[in-house]
Formats: sequence, structure tokens, C-alpha cells
Amino acid sequence: MMSAIRFYGHTPPGAGDEPILGRLIVVEGTDGVGRSTQIAMLQEWLEAEGYAVLVTGFRRSELAASGIERAMRGNTLDALTLNLFYATDFWDRLEKSIIPAMRSGMVALVDRYIYSIIARARVRGVPARWLNDVFEFAAVPDRVLYLDVDVAHLLPRVLAVRQLDHWESGDDFLGGTDLYENFIRYQSALIDEFRELAKQHNFVTVDARGSVSDVFQALQTEVREALKGMGE
Amino acid sequence: MTVLLEQPAYKMGERYGQHPDDGQYPGKLIIVEGIDGSGKSTQIDLLGKWLTSQNLVTAFTEWNSSPIVRRTTKKGKVEELLTPMSFSLIHAADFANRVHAQIIPALRAGAVVLADRYVFTAFARDAARGVNREWLRRVYSFAVQPSLAVYFKVPLDVSIHRINVGREGLGYYESGQDMGFSNDREESFRIFQGKLLEEYDALTEEFGLMTIDATQPIAVQQQQVRRYVEPLVSGVMRIQGQSVPEALGKAGLTGRYVTPPSRRRLTEQEALAAASSG
Repeated sequence: MMSAIRFYGHTPPGAGDEPILGRLIVVEGTDGVGRSTQIAMLQEWLEAEGYAVLVTGFRRSELAASGIERAMRGNTLDALTLNLFYATDFWDRLEKSIIPAMRSGMVALVDRYIYSIIARARVRGVPARWLNDVFEFAAVPDRVLYLDVDVAHLLPRVLAVRQLDHWESGDDFLGGTDLYENFIRYQSALIDEFRELAKQHNFVTVDARGSVSDVFQALQTEVREALKGMGE
Repeated sequence: MTVLLEQPAYKMGERYGQHPDDGQYPGKLIIVEGIDGSGKSTQIDLLGKWLTSQNLVTAFTEWNSSPIVRRTTKKGKVEELLTPMSFSLIHAADFANRVHAQIIPALRAGAVVLADRYVFTAFARDAARGVNREWLRRVYSFAVQPSLAVYFKVPLDVSIHRINVGREGLGYYESGQDMGFSNDREESFRIFQGKLLEEYDALTEEFGLMTIDATQPIAVQQQQVRRYVEPLVSGVMRIQGQSVPEALGKAGLTGRYVTPPSRRRLTEQEALAAASSG
């Protein structure tokens, strides 16, 4: 089964309009929810099944990754600039990795997509309408697998492996000195935005409070469904 | 919903030209546009000197100069990594940073902000690369409209003569070579700049840019610019300025340790050259 890539808005220059063979599977969810573990397991499983897999995520573009990291160490980085910086990084990967992979019949497994960028900008006061406008050049994924968790279950997971992070606690815009309080407020707001986006864009929501195997099984079922027809 | 902010932190309209703060700031925004070699940078420089001499507080900003973003743009250009969409997005990031950290604060403070290139540069260049025009106007909706936008219109032959650069001096992206118009850089430059002129003509119509015939003598053009600017700045804040040389003279000092504020910082190469020759 082959079809051309669908975009949220106009077809951007450079996207091409030939039919594609591959699939675009996105895993979304807030920081520390277990995305990378699940993606590693999915990749291993899919390759064992004989699929060629491309794994890509945030800040991995040749063009903008190092620039974003530098900018995030500074302190006059406003949410609009950061968002457009992320948009550049995202487009660079979409155009140069994800679309070519799909075109050659691979499964592109993407760790966070435009929704994470949009959710983070929305809680920082960037108008939703503008964010939807900016990202209308994004390809519509075949599946968005959203790992959902509440903040009470998230916090112990994060703290089990590391300390709280400046950006993941919204410390860049919330102010004050209570990092714990900021983390709770920021992540609660972020999860609200994700749930809103889940409704808007028909995510498949998977309860991430379950065991790693339970979550993986749920993801496998969805991915199997999304890959139907690929071998034909 | 968990509410973190009382109101949206970033104001904007639905598309460029509908910003809620348009015309609301005490300062004035004056911008110049035109293709390479149109002479616009010379004109805005002369304008800035005139405004400063009248004790007006001025702030200057130019395209592609955000300290946070420009290194990425440069990397993209040098390594030829940019495509029409990433070219567009990285320039929007640069511009957003300058709007937020420089242009709007200066306008709110009551300064005359001078911008060498503005949204119209993105509208012209990106559209010439096939980027969707309507999308560009929505992406740039965070930008306020200038009090005055001047377009320096010049025929292609004149601008090319002025730039006076051979094939070696023309940049890959300045020549639009990324678009594959021609393998010959000079020919590609001609084709691309020609497209930009067409885009600017359309933008002049759409946004009412004030057109100045940029083939005229520099002084004549500057008189026209000042005629446009004078009524705009009559009510703007002025401060009693005194130049550093004046202050030094008054104190009877030579100023061996004072760097004139206009002098730019040496580049690494220049500093090395100076160090090795000294």
C-alpha cells in the first residue's frame, strides 16, 4: 500500500509528492515517562521482525542541534525563538532523515515530534494558533503513541535516576526558588497540554504507569496495526 | 487546565500586519529594504548619524545578527546545509530573538529603532525559494509594523555593478545557487536577484512600502529619507547627549584609554595580526 505523505497544512517545498512505502511512528510523552526505553525495545523487535528502522529524536539535526544546546545555556532565550529553533531542527530531520527513510520503505520511529515542542511552548504563553501555523509543514504520522502518566507517578521515576532539570521544571519562566513546586506545576500543565493535543490529533494513549512489559505489549499491538500492508 | 501564566506572554495577530501593539509604542521603528547593492545600508547609516546628532535615542539592528542564532545560520551557509524551509525557519528564529530582546524593548523605551532589513526580506527571499507566502505572513505575525518602511529600488545592472564582485565573491545562497537556477554563479545571482525584484514590487503594493529611486545620488536619496522621517520623530524622546571626544576635550584629556563607542571589536584574525605585528 503506497500513498503520498500528508501534511498538516500546505505541502512544504522539498517534501516531494511521490508515494512512500514506509511508515512514520511517533512516541510522545513528558520527560522521564520511559520513551527511550520503549523506543529501544521497539527498534529491537522491529529489526528482529525484518523491518529497517530509523530512530531519531529531538536536537539531532546536523544543522541546528549544537546551536540549540548553546542557546539553552544562555539566558535571553525567549519561547518564540526557542520554538523556531526547534522547528528548524525538526524540519532538517524531517527533510533529510525521516522522509527519505519512509521513501525507501523504512519505519521511522521518532522520539518526540512537534507535539512536545508545541506543548512546551503553549505552557510558556505562546499562542496555540501560531504554533499550529508554524508546524503545518509537519507530516501527519501514521500513529502517535502517547505515554500518559500523572505527575505523582512521574516524580519518583525522574528522581530515581537523576536530579531535577532546569528546563524540565519550567525554572526558566516560573521564577521563585522552589524547584519541587515548579516541577509539579510545570509538569502538570505540560501533561494537560499533551492530553489536549491527544484529543485534537487522535493519539493512541497508553497508560505509562504500568510495567515496562505491559506498556511494550500495548505499543506492539498498535505498531503491528500501523505496519499492516507494508509487505504488500 | 493548570494555569501557569495569567495572560499570553507573547502578543501577536493572526498574520503580519495585525499585531495588537502596532502603533502603540512611544518609540518609532524605521526599516529599509532592497536587494544587495541597492545602497540601503549606506542610507540607514546616514540617517542614524543625523538622528543621533539631534539627540534622539537610536537603536540599530540588522538582519541575521541574533547572538543566539547567527552561528547556526552561518554553519548552515558555510556547510551548505540549508534548504528553502530551513533557511526560512532559521532566519525567523534570528528575527524573533531580535524582536523580543531588542526591537520591542527599545520601542517601549521610546527609542528610534533603525532596522536594516525587516520581515519583507524574508517574504521576498523565501517566496523566491518556493516557500508558501501565506504561511510566511502567519509565521511572522509576532512582528510589529514599522512606522516607516523604505524600499530602495534599483535595476539589476546597477546593483551588480555596485557590488562589483566576481564569481568568487558571490555567496552560494546570495546567488540562489541552492535552487539550481544555473551552475554559473554570476548567472544564478542574476536570476535570483531578478526574482527578488519581482517579489519586492509585489510587496510594495501589498504593504505600502515607500519607494525611493536608488539610482539617484546618495545625498538626494538621503534628503528624501529625512523628509519622510522628520515628522515621525518630532515628538520622540531626546536626551542631552555629549560625545566622548567632547567630554575629553572639555577635561583637557587625550583619551588614550577610551575606545570610541562606534569602533567595533576586532575579529580574532585581526587581533592576532595586530599582536604579531606589534
